[in-house]
Amino acid sequence: MIPIPKKGTPEREAMIKEHRECVDSMKGVAGFSVLKCETPGDTTVVTGGVHEHPDLKRVLLRMRGESPKGKLIVICTKVDAEWRIGRLSGIRGVPPEFVGDKIYTDEQEIQHDIFLMRLDELPETAGMPEHFDEGWKRKDDNWPVT
Amino acid sequence: MCAMRLTGYADKFGVHPGDKIKFYVNCDGPAEYKAELVHMIHGDTNPRGPGFIEKPLSADVNGSYQGRKQIIHGGSYGFVEDKPQLNVESFTLQCWIWPTTPKTHPRYWKHGAQGLVTKWSDGKGYGLFINEEGQVELRINDQKVTTGAPIRDHAWHFVAASYDAETGEATLYHEPQIVYALDPVIEPVTAAIAAKPIAIPAPLAIAAYVDKVDDSALAKSSLPAGVWFTGKYNGKIDSPRLCKKALSRLEIEQMKGGAQPGLTERRNSGPTGALSEVIVAAWDFWDGIDTIVAKDNGPYRFDATLVNCPTRALTGYNWAGQNFDWKYAKKEYGAIHFHDDDVDDARWEFDMEWTVPEGFRSTSYAIKLTTSEGDEDYIPFWVVPKIGQEQSKIAVMIPTISYMAYANEHVACNAGGAELFVYRVPIMQHQNMFLAEHREYGGSIYDTHTDGSGICMSSRLRPILSIRPKYDHFLAQAPWQYPADLHLIYWLETMGYQYDIITDEDVTYDGVARLEGYNVVITGSHPEHNSGTQLDALHNYTQRGGRLMYMGADGWYWVHSYHPAYDDKGRGVITEMRRCESGIRTWRADPGEYYHQGTGELGGMWRFRGRQLYSVAGVGMTNEGFDISTYFSRTPDSLDPRVAWAFEGIEYDEKLGNFGLVGGGAAGLELDIVDTMLGSPPHTLAVATSAGRHTEAYLLVMEDFGFNQQGLDGTTHPRVRGDIAFHETPNGGGAFSFSSIAFCGSLPWNEGKNNISTLVGNVLNRFMADGPLPPPPADAIKHRGRADYESPALASKPS
Repeated sequence: MIPIPKKGTPEREAMIKEHRECVDSMKGVAGFSVLKCETPGDTTVVTGGVHEHPDLKRVLLRMRGESPKGKLIVICTKVDAEWRIGRLSGIRGVPPEFVGDKIYTDEQEIQHDIFLMRLDELPETAGMPEHFDEGWKRKDDNWPVT
Repeated sequence: MCAMRLTGYADKFGVHPGDKIKFYVNCDGPAEYKAELVHMIHGDTNPRGPGFIEKPLSADVNGSYQGRKQIIHGGSYGFVEDKPQLNVESFTLQCWIWPTTPKTHPRYWKHGAQGLVTKWSDGKGYGLFINEEGQVELRINDQKVTTGAPIRDHAWHFVAASYDAETGEATLYHEPQIVYALDPVIEPVTAAIAAKPIAIPAPLAIAAYVDKVDDSALAKSSLPAGVWFTGKYNGKIDSPRLCKKALSRLEIEQMKGGAQPGLTERRNSGPTGALSEVIVAAWDFWDGIDTIVAKDNGPYRFDATLVNCPTRALTGYNWAGQNFDWKYAKKEYGAIHFHDDDVDDARWEFDMEWTVPEGFRSTSYAIKLTTSEGDEDYIPFWVVPKIGQEQSKIAVMIPTISYMAYANEHVACNAGGAELFVYRVPIMQHQNMFLAEHREYGGSIYDTHTDGSGICMSSRLRPILSIRPKYDHFLAQAPWQYPADLHLIYWLETMGYQYDIITDEDVTYDGVARLEGYNVVITGSHPEHNSGTQLDALHNYTQRGGRLMYMGADGWYWVHSYHPAYDDKGRGVITEMRRCESGIRTWRADPGEYYHQGTGELGGMWRFRGRQLYSVAGVGMTNEGFDISTYFSRTPDSLDPRVAWAFEGIEYDEKLGNFGLVGGGAAGLELDIVDTMLGSPPHTLAVATSAGRHTEAYLLVMEDFGFNQQGLDGTTHPRVRGDIAFHETPNGGGAFSFSSIAFCGSLPWNEGKNNISTLVGNVLNRFMADGPLPPPPADAIKHRGRADYESPALASKPS
């Protein structure tokens, strides 16, 4: 595993920049990927992002594989108009809760803010032996779909 | 937070002109709501498309209705109505259990004690429970006896409790089937309880207990009406028995076998003469697995009614791993798995009923529900002509089994790994938020139950909030299934085609009679889940000269059957599937649990029943990815005179569908290819392909490889692509496959003025014409193998 890059490092800044550019280029697409549309909002030609930055790809995969307990998620609050960040409870029957008050008016923009929040929340050694707990023995890794 | 105060469902998906359809509505708060019939044309609110389109229609069902709250009493259980013999004084209760959530988080939606076998309510009666601490507990009135030992989850345990009313001695047994090296010994516990159980008029409950009985409006949707059950148990129960005597441990052991009335020399119900005199009930869950009755083979025949369709045909405590089909080893399949979120029927009171006028147009409708306070919901349904009264030459086959399979999906918030396959942070709509706290609305066949076990049945008699317009699915960040199929409806309407609607149910029950009145049958975007008789009908239709337009991908994949125990409630009420050894599976069935409880047939993929998905329309699913879509390019096959007509008005080098409302392109989400080795007819033409253009989020399906290896994604693997394909069928029939779930999302682009629309229009115009398709050129009739072709890599090499 590669470590989650520390705050202030050039690696982290480069990841953030690439992610930002991908998000901007995806605005208007009915879907999303951390890739760069040659023409904004048009997936005819896509480059960069996870296809060309293996560290970014691996950090994103680690983030995506995190447990649903406390995981950040997007909640659409007005159809095709407003979105907010939420956090999953990880408990069946207990719905997600909003995080912060910010209302987004673009469904892609929120992807970037969640990426930044996760960079801050994930320790550098996430997934490494320093973080061993009982869940490792009890299928709590959540990589299987359910 | 956010809530839906209006929800509803209808008693059927498809209704014939002249027939009635009922609508059931929960209006939780507002005093009244308005109902209005609408023609549902386009459900996608994406501003880059035509936007949401509905057409209000006059109908005598339109009007204002008084609002009332209606609730679902979710969670499965069994019950036996009160009988004098069940109100015992001395007794022994025993059963095997395999609990899945013996101890729950304090915030868990149904945290608390769980009933196993109970004739207990409000401090009166008797019963076996698992208490809040996850320990086996005997209750006699307000007295509780427990072993103090936490019960291990996902493991078999034998539990029993006896009580002698004369001596007041109660004994509780908890005997794990498997004992590990460091497990403490669990000794039987005895206690003195002076008062014998107080007889109560409430039912005996299995996997629950009675909270209260009243005649309130909300209790009407329980079964039996008026009885509020609580303490819904998660896990398996096997072989519960009730005797009216405090048995010795030896007698308890003998009672494990239950009543055995089948022997010639038997003069009683067994298992011994003495025990036969004290048996009150001996339920054998292996008997009648395909029913919703838990059979009591004891002398009183106190069969229990099973509510909310718990899962059966599951391995029992005595399963030996030798037989894998319950039909041939029933006594090893004596377990029923109850879940606190099972639901078979919301059982609401109906609020309105509409008789569809004779001759009413067959198309896509909904009852639109609104309140003056801004609440809104839609109940979609379709008007389906009676056989012989077809209104058009075109039939659109709405994939209702697939809609049911995806009904009320929870994957975005349940599954930590969901982001790994959608390749972004999922977006939850307000329907998802409502479902996240209303698990009693039930999940989809993609979900696991609240206890983590797979959901293998889905009912349509409940509000299905994923079958809604204005609903983007987290998988696509765009419409999926019902709202995605409205892209097709919009296009048909915009282009001026007349079409009828039929559903999976109709084809399943009516066979080819439902299809043969049409020149062409058009599928939805993702007809993944199918019954066997539906596939038979499609084969017979194309064999007889029918034309099939397969508008999507990942079709004909999973084995489904409608549960026959619900036939009295209508067609196709409960659909069942099992996720067996291969295929894209969000959960995996346990060993020995592959056969359907309703029909007894082997579940899993049709492919592993010897019915290749490629055989239906000439293509089969090889890959899926959910981030963004791309476009198709024509191949030399598209120039073949057998199919060149389909590309009139389209240049050879045009990008086909580099636009769209699903992923931004026509090729996306899930994709099918031609493979003559897996069932595509050898003469199939692959006229366009998206090869080489997919992202790394697109991955080869697991049934197509046997060894984990790198290079399975869209940037590298040759089978990660979609192929648009055509082949002729006998008697002037044919199949045209567009091979991508995202495909229909390109049809509405630029109001239907685009090359995907041109291609589909060319195909439909030819396929809908009366009479057989024009014959292929004479030289097209020739022998073809499945594997034989000249490899370009070898063609230029001298021999």
